[in-house]
Amino acid sequence: MARQLKQIAIYGKGGIGKSTTTSNISAALAEAGYKVMQFGADPKADSTNTLRGGEYIPSVLDLLAERRRVDAYEAIFEGFGGIYCVEAGGPQPGVGCAGRGIITAVELLKQQRVFEELNIDIVIYDVLGDVVCGGFAVPVREGIAEHVFTVSSSDFMAIYAANNLFRGIERFSNSGGALLGGIIANSINTEFQREIIDDFAARTDTPIVQYVPRSLTVTQAELSGRTTIEAAPHSAQADVYRQLAKRIAEHADSKVPTPLNPQQLREWSARWADHLVAAERAEAERNREVA
Amino acid sequence: MAILALKSRPTEITPDADKSGPIELVRYVCAIGAMQSAAAIPRVVPITHCGPGCADKQYMNLAFYNGFQGSGYGGGPVVPSTNASQREVIFGGADRLRELIDSSQTVLDADLFVVLTGCIPDLVGDDVGSVVRDFQKKGVPIVYAETGGFRGNNFTGHEAVTQAIIEQYLGPWDGVREQGLVNLWSLLPYQNTFWRGDLEEIKRLLESIGLKVNVLFGPDSAGLGEWRSIPRAQFNLVLSPWLGLSTAKLLEARYDQPYLHIPVLPIGARQSGEFLRKVAEFAGLAAGPVEQVIAREETRYYNYIDGFTDFYSEYWWGLPARFAVIGDSAYNLALTKFLVTQLGLIPAKQIVTEDPPVEHREAIREQFRAIDHDVSVEIEFAEDSYLIHDAIRKADFGHKPPIIFGTTWERDLVKEMKGSLIEVGFPASYEVVLSRSYVGYRGALSLLERIYSTVVSHSA
Repeated sequence: MARQLKQIAIYGKGGIGKSTTTSNISAALAEAGYKVMQFGADPKADSTNTLRGGEYIPSVLDLLAERRRVDAYEAIFEGFGGIYCVEAGGPQPGVGCAGRGIITAVELLKQQRVFEELNIDIVIYDVLGDVVCGGFAVPVREGIAEHVFTVSSSDFMAIYAANNLFRGIERFSNSGGALLGGIIANSINTEFQREIIDDFAARTDTPIVQYVPRSLTVTQAELSGRTTIEAAPHSAQADVYRQLAKRIAEHADSKVPTPLNPQQLREWSARWADHLVAAERAEAERNREVA
Repeated sequence: MAILALKSRPTEITPDADKSGPIELVRYVCAIGAMQSAAAIPRVVPITHCGPGCADKQYMNLAFYNGFQGSGYGGGPVVPSTNASQREVIFGGADRLRELIDSSQTVLDADLFVVLTGCIPDLVGDDVGSVVRDFQKKGVPIVYAETGGFRGNNFTGHEAVTQAIIEQYLGPWDGVREQGLVNLWSLLPYQNTFWRGDLEEIKRLLESIGLKVNVLFGPDSAGLGEWRSIPRAQFNLVLSPWLGLSTAKLLEARYDQPYLHIPVLPIGARQSGEFLRKVAEFAGLAAGPVEQVIAREETRYYNYIDGFTDFYSEYWWGLPARFAVIGDSAYNLALTKFLVTQLGLIPAKQIVTEDPPVEHREAIREQFRAIDHDVSVEIEFAEDSYLIHDAIRKADFGHKPPIIFGTTWERDLVKEMKGSLIEVGFPASYEVVLSRSYVGYRGALSLLERIYSTVVSHSA
């Protein structure tokens, strides 16, 4: 009997740490006994690298480029903790249609009933930063992921991207698509950063699932081609990811997001910019006094 | 860590033959051509979400310059289209589609709408499903099938449309099966020029042994009432080399409904009798009454054949001995079987042209290899008419002029070879076809008339 499959999509601005966070969530879930698949929905095809010692795997579209028909199992590779790793892949930068590539890869796995056959508990789609066209919205359509989480730091550009994503989800949620599970607040080390992201979360009525501090442990693990869970299982950072994974595994109720409109977002960021300038001035003041 | 896929690829991958080149004189249409499959169901109207010209091309090719079959209640020029252009490419065409569905409901009287997508929405990733589901939730009878051209041809499109109706229109079912009710999955409507008459004859044959038939497409179908009763049927009958098999498998998975696959469409007494016996056995019908039906049909059939033999034996010096068939696997196999086993003609070249899915090709080859106990045919799969005609020219037809079963595309070739042409497939632009059939007992007689009228008038 097939288990109840949970499908989750993780979005966020490029370079914000989506793949790192996603791979650590997958690793922590696998450690906790779940059967996990991580699906990299990015033409760069590097979402799952740290689950496999930094090794690249051929993507679904690499295989499709060779032959008209692909057996989905030829594109599934087992990584750390038995996690099934799949990369959608895509065309070379600047050519073809990456969005169509994502659609094709997702369809291929669905058609061949891979999730059912492999008895997977949780599928996590790691989707590239900007939802530039219809193809990159496929993971949040009806019948695919039910919950979307967004990875964001306290940087304004990351928050803009998150807000944009909320608008996308709002649109899809009207037509039966995925709902918003919450924000994974990444690289949050100072009180100030936390205040910014908290304020954005409050304004948009969005829960923060977990605060993840920036940590050298993560960088070191990445450089060795591993997740933090694998490379530094006893570190405090690994526990942060475990907690995050647990919350995601238990997460049941997502909701329609309430994004800020462009005017509200501008005013909101201007106010925080003023705070920031004032804080920096005070800091400079203090430094002069010390000198 | 060894990086191995769950299933390893063959070490030597032979790249697929480069099929990206142009095809001369096409023998099928785009996947969205399956709009005519939707239109083949009484009172069903397709809605196309595609660029300007797509829908018209499919209709003109399939239903006009192919037997001049006509558009039907909801096909051809009736079909509403979004006429997607630049705006829909850039901003997505969902809003335009919503508007079109809304308006179509106002001006068109249909039992079911079937939305078919073309290349544009499938490429830009329009979430057509969500648009259609909104209408479904409001109780509008509507389904959608993604039929962008890169997904395959109109055979693929036909399966997509059929399965869309099953998956989106038919609900779950757990009633009692009606013994003797059978769903028929056979020829591709409109693509096969003679599908209407053929389905009528197949239905007649099945009914004659006591079955009730959901013929599902064409004038002999009762429309959506039949479709709704699909899950109730005792079994599915797939009467074609491969088309319809995936639908039968879907129904098996969905409703636990068994299916019988008979690859050879019966033409003539021998095949028709064999067909009826197979179906009867699967349906659990008593042999006695079935044999009576067969005997009755054969009496009539052979009465005509008896008359025909005067001509057939006297005219031996002028009749062709070797034949070629260029056409879809269904008709190609059926004709070859009939011509070899019942007329004693010699197969010179059989070319299958509908680009069947790779996974079915070996089974199709096997069918041709077992044409008769002493006749085995090696077929070719080809779609490009330049290559096809080249192969026909090189085939050995002996000393007599050949007889070619093909399409209008073979007109010039056959003139060049001084042979005879029987147009039996898409496109048949010099045939007006209404209810004519070439299958079963009755169709076989029409086919004989057609073949030998063509041959004897050749020198006139």
